[in-house]
Amino acid sequence: MEFVSPEGLRLDGRRPMEMRQIRAEIGAVSRADGSAVFEMGNTKVIAAVYGPREVQNRSQQINDQALVRCEYSMANFSTGDRMRKPKGDRRSTEISLVIRQTMEACILTHLMPRSQIDIFVQVLQADGGTRSACINAATLALADAGIPMCDLVTSCSAGYLNSTALLDLNYVEDSAGGPDVTVGILPKSEKVTLLQMDAKLPMDTFENVMQLAIEGCKAVATYIREVLLENTKQLEYRRGV
Amino acid sequence: MREKEELVMVTPGEVLGKASELKAGRGAYVATHNNTVYASLTGRRSLNPPPSDSPDKVPPPSDSPDKRPTVEVTGHKAHGAVPVPGSIVIARVAKVMARMASADIMCVGSKSVREKFSGIIRHQDIRATEIDKVDMHSSFRPGDIVRASILSLGDARAYYLSTAKNELGVVSAESTAGATMVPISWTEMQCPLTGQIEQRKVAKV
Repeated sequence: MEFVSPEGLRLDGRRPMEMRQIRAEIGAVSRADGSAVFEMGNTKVIAAVYGPREVQNRSQQINDQALVRCEYSMANFSTGDRMRKPKGDRRSTEISLVIRQTMEACILTHLMPRSQIDIFVQVLQADGGTRSACINAATLALADAGIPMCDLVTSCSAGYLNSTALLDLNYVEDSAGGPDVTVGILPKSEKVTLLQMDAKLPMDTFENVMQLAIEGCKAVATYIREVLLENTKQLEYRRGV
Repeated sequence: MREKEELVMVTPGEVLGKASELKAGRGAYVATHNNTVYASLTGRRSLNPPPSDSPDKVPPPSDSPDKRPTVEVTGHKAHGAVPVPGSIVIARVAKVMARMASADIMCVGSKSVREKFSGIIRHQDIRATEIDKVDMHSSFRPGDIVRASILSLGDARAYYLSTAKNELGVVSAESTAGATMVPISWTEMQCPLTGQIEQRKVAKV
């Protein structure tokens, strides 16, 4: 099947290096300490952060840093067919672990000993790139909760189909069977906190694809910073500062 | 004291300055690998010059650490108050036992807390005088609101509180009849409905 037309257009009309449209909203869950909704094209994800708060399970308490817990789940209605078991299956457990490790790398946990930070991410609509959208939503929610971080973590995926490197795969391109590289970086220092790939790629092609994904991450980071600054300004106007 | 109010808003990861010129305060951190101060919160950046407490005769050397101003980032979300040793708290007595009373800390200073903290008032910390003759039940009853000060972080379960000062002790209590009692002396409170006098360690308001 042809994923990139001879004119260089993908199935949804994008160019190979074009990301889908991103949109973010902060403060969607008023009860949570921090929350955000993040959309990448048709993929829509909501994240809620609770913390730092007292550790609920005393045996898991760490004396010199905060405990970070993450739970990823997909809503039953998020995919085409209604899902039977939205969380607890292997894929959800793996993605929960991946998001937890990625966020733990950037949270300054040593400032909050003996406490717990909970990150809950739920996919409302899945159209490829849910992992990346979840990490971006979690970053926004953590920043909204005022949890100290060393840098924002942004994530983007890229693939390689029809001998072309494609940025930000959607579901159809993802299920084509080609390689799918997900990268998560700290944009200011360009340090990689997450790098995952399924399928195989020759080394030089992999470098191109990974570099493309990193550029996508930086674009997401610019957008996230704008959203955070705008949100803070709005809050200040409302407070009358 | 702020010399200039900065209107710069920063997000986590943004560079605030070099560690040789600035000290990292709240909301900022120093990355050791390149000695730069970065922001860790979203908010306004503010510079606080250090207080000058030494006499002005000899200017301090230029690379003395006390001369650097502190840079802080104030976020918009206020975190709940956390008890700190030495602070005055308002707590509600939950249990009164033979040698201690357990209380739930509800306010630290003038701010209420997001989630309750557990505190313990030991029998030797209730009063300043005659601490071996203290009777727990004539000092506190369950449900009393007390003003106490934090002695220390305590053990894993609870903070250690103390009411051993004149202005610390029971602030508000309900009588057995259900009415809010009126304090008469530093050991007694009277119910306005029945006239019954009950014993408490009353705070001097």
